[in-house]
Amino acid sequence: MNQTAKAIYLDYAATTPVDPRVIERMVGCLGPDGCFANPASSSHAPGREARNRVEAARREVASMLGALPPEIIWTSGATESNNLAIKGAARFHADRGRHIVTSRTEHKAVLDTCRQLEKEGWQVSYVTPGPGGVVGVAEIEPVLRPDTVLVSVMFVNNEIGTINDVAAIGSLCRERGVLFHVDAAQAAGKLPVRVDEVQADLLSLSGHKVYGPKGIGALYLRGCPKSRLEPQIHGGGHEWGLRSGTLATHQIVGMAEACRIAAAEHAREAERLAGLRRRLWDGIAGLGGVHLNGDPERRVAGILNVCFEGVEGESLLFALRELAVSSGSACTSASREASYVLRALGRDDQLAQSSLRFSVGRFTTAEDVDRAAAIVRTQVQRLRALGPGSCETKEAAI
Amino acid sequence: MNADQLDYSAEVRQRFERAPGHGRVLAAPSERRTGAAGNIARGTRVEFEARVRQGRILECRFRAYGCPHVIAAASWVAEHAEGRRTTELDWIDPRALARRLEAPAHKLGSLLVVEDAYRACMGAGPEA
Repeated sequence: MNQTAKAIYLDYAATTPVDPRVIERMVGCLGPDGCFANPASSSHAPGREARNRVEAARREVASMLGALPPEIIWTSGATESNNLAIKGAARFHADRGRHIVTSRTEHKAVLDTCRQLEKEGWQVSYVTPGPGGVVGVAEIEPVLRPDTVLVSVMFVNNEIGTINDVAAIGSLCRERGVLFHVDAAQAAGKLPVRVDEVQADLLSLSGHKVYGPKGIGALYLRGCPKSRLEPQIHGGGHEWGLRSGTLATHQIVGMAEACRIAAAEHAREAERLAGLRRRLWDGIAGLGGVHLNGDPERRVAGILNVCFEGVEGESLLFALRELAVSSGSACTSASREASYVLRALGRDDQLAQSSLRFSVGRFTTAEDVDRAAAIVRTQVQRLRALGPGSCETKEAAI
Repeated sequence: MNADQLDYSAEVRQRFERAPGHGRVLAAPSERRTGAAGNIARGTRVEFEARVRQGRILECRFRAYGCPHVIAAASWVAEHAEGRRTTELDWIDPRALARRLEAPAHKLGSLLVVEDAYRACMGAGPEA
């Protein structure tokens, strides 16, 4: 077994393993005896059977969201969904206005897409989250303008796990006639995601965050196929001309099965994961100098993001290499830039650099959590002991 | 990022784990020298303490807040300082240290902090 395989996996917010039940469904679409044909090949039975599976999957995902099947557009993942939603809506509705609103704590797939539109002449307002990292109406309403065409706010923050008040923002946008996009990549499978409750016009999903395969996602577009976006990928006219490319039956079937399982099991699973998260927090909070990032109540069950006083981020991550966890700091850069999400929340550089995101999931056990907490306690204490003390020292003149 | 993106040489790993040369010196104020450089808020802070008699380093210890390369570099310097004269400073070359530790180019700034802290320590007079 290699080193990676031995690590305790606590990075479910980054990606999840494919559930064996999903694999089973996917395999049925791959081999020569399976449903491998091109779903666009309507001239023969295997093609029609593949199309049937794709459409059944579409109904499954639509059902999870409370949407109509034609409102689901298959993509390669949430990044593509976000690109199609934001660039597609902005460009299609450019004659109505060129102002977009989003938050400073969005995923890069949203922020970088907005930056691209800025280069093309759009104006973007980046709001700072409220206390605890939550974005709500209080942050969005003041920056809306007559020429605002789109508001994009994530459902659940991928770094700190806080739940934004998307239902209220959706209601505000509907009232003002502004399109509302929700990146729900971190929410699906963890919370009920219903497009009518959120009042979303566009909503992005990813397969690999819900124990489905990588390389597949979906975009909900309210009113599709009548509603339109400017397509970002051309050729073949698939997905009502909004996203061309041969449909990957096995990926689509896998994502649908993953969504079905998540919808059926998330309530019970959320309770179990919340228990594991509390257990982990209880196991490390006693160290002292440990700070929880994000609102303590308004958060998804599986994500715990903490900062450690007196510990440098890169050393901490290396010391904890028996654990597969994520650091918010980009320590491969010369500046060791701290997490932009934590800085937006007002964390100082030292704390922001020492942040770690632990995310538990379907295959995490209480034993995993206890062992992880013990490793964290040992290593944080060791690194703090290595650090500078309070003795009088002569400073270098630099 | 995650731990798999962190790649360190065997020497850095060994020094990071065992931290030889870490700690404090027990010395009379007349023989004790200290020096520091860096800033925790900027990610690197290094402190050295030395026991010095008649201009010669009898013992040297470090404490460090920083990445594994910084901890390893401070450890190496503390170990190799012993027996040298306090006026001897040219043996610490951050670029050579970076090569020895196989540190990437962007870590050179952090290794300069290690050098600055050592120079501050050796440039300091006795505490009493």
